[in-house]
Amino acid sequence: MSRALDRTGIWIGWAFFADLANALALTFGYMFSRPVTMQYPDKEKWLPYSRYRGHHFLKRDEEGEIKCVACELCARICPCDCIEVIPYEDEKGNRRPAKFEIDMARCLFCGLCEDACPADAIALGQQYEFSSFSSSDLVIGRDDLLGKPGKAMTGGGVVAAHLNTEQDVLVETSEPQGYNWWRNIRRT
Amino acid sequence: MELVVALGLIVFKVALLIAILLLLPLPLTWLERKIAGHMQQRMGPMRVGWHGLLQPVADGVKLLTKEDHIPAEADRFLFKLAPILALAPPFVVFVAVPFGESVSVLGTEITLYVSNMNVALLFVFAVIGIEVYGVIFGGWAANSKYAVLGSLRTCAQMISYEIPMGFAVIGVVMLAQSMSLLDIVRAQANVWNIVYQPVGFFVFFVAGLAESQRIPFDLAEAEGDLGAGFHTEYSGIRFAFFMVSEYAIMLLTSVLAVILFFGGWNGVLVPLPPLVWFGLKVAFFVYVFIWFRFTFPRYRYDQLMAIGWKVLLPLSMANIIITGVAFL
Repeated sequence: MSRALDRTGIWIGWAFFADLANALALTFGYMFSRPVTMQYPDKEKWLPYSRYRGHHFLKRDEEGEIKCVACELCARICPCDCIEVIPYEDEKGNRRPAKFEIDMARCLFCGLCEDACPADAIALGQQYEFSSFSSSDLVIGRDDLLGKPGKAMTGGGVVAAHLNTEQDVLVETSEPQGYNWWRNIRRT
Repeated sequence: MELVVALGLIVFKVALLIAILLLLPLPLTWLERKIAGHMQQRMGPMRVGWHGLLQPVADGVKLLTKEDHIPAEADRFLFKLAPILALAPPFVVFVAVPFGESVSVLGTEITLYVSNMNVALLFVFAVIGIEVYGVIFGGWAANSKYAVLGSLRTCAQMISYEIPMGFAVIGVVMLAQSMSLLDIVRAQANVWNIVYQPVGFFVFFVAGLAESQRIPFDLAEAEGDLGAGFHTEYSGIRFAFFMVSEYAIMLLTSVLAVILFFGGWNGVLVPLPPLVWFGLKVAFFVYVFIWFRFTFPRYRYDQLMAIGWKVLLPLSMANIIITGVAFL
């Protein structure tokens, strides 16, 4: 085909709004593609990846004792100074934290405490729903930190969930692994 | 007695018309947001009612309970007058618009129009011309630069697009030999006007898009560059008036397009009740309006003027001439 004919074709297309028709066809096609909306918190919820840095948790060793040796390295390295550790000596003669408080309102979830810990006692887990109406509720003590969920084992998926507002605002889910959210992304 | 019945019937029809026109924006806003959402791979409103069906009601309650704020430097009289001026003409116009021939209820024939004017088309264009005052007054009275810019643009846009719109329908009037909308529809019983008047329809539809200030011609509002255009300073119920007026005009443009070019309530192939056919066609055009809104970007102001004066006006005039020559 000659270039002149090509050019006439473009002009004819332009005169009959071929470009506008293309755009209309595109949006019409999109109208029938699956929405990518994650219906959080009504119906669905995101399970984080295992690398996700959420709410801190403290680990226990095999005997069920707290791993933390209260060296206060985490409190030292913390860039926003939100960890407070007070050590004591337990009956076996080990150094343990008498008080281990994290002010979640100040924490920036950098994960430096996790890196600095020589005893592998603190880490940032998978929980991300801990908003609160008062900042004093966000100061979490040692025993609460021991009970927080750990790193996500699987993750990176969307699971069915439902919103429970009877007592507190909770997004409950029972599924351990969800579908890959990226499957609905349309790539053309 | 007969006079009372006739009067009662007219009052009933008018009340029904007003009720429908006031309530129709509710499902239309829902539909618009849903279609917008799905075109952008979102879901649109989902939380109020089943699939967000009650969202317009929630929005309405919100608008009604909001503070009705008037800016300190505003012209208070014009500021209050403008939403009414914007709202009334689309309602008045529907008096002249037929929705079908007639239905018989309890043995009496009830016509599906309020009045059969012999110059209905002229009436429609005359009354819809008043609508521009609502926009101009609204923008001017608010005493805000965005609102004034929006209303100035609208003023120029509405006036320039009314001309090709008026010329575009002359071809239809020539074909039907009448300006009564009822006669125009009757004249299309066999072949719709779109077959004879494709150019006329094109000009009419583009001008209609501009008249109802929808994308790609929504320079009056132009969220991106003017805040919200002429209704920047409006809130609460007065803002709702402008929104209802916008939807009523969108509806009116769709209805006019159907009546003038797509055979009104005359069906093809599938034998459906005339009113159903009419509703389906209007619904299609309303969908096209929404579809356009979420597909095209806004035209620049000079492009808008160029399209109106350099493309649509010559096209509509040529359309008249060709139709006239074909008649001879």
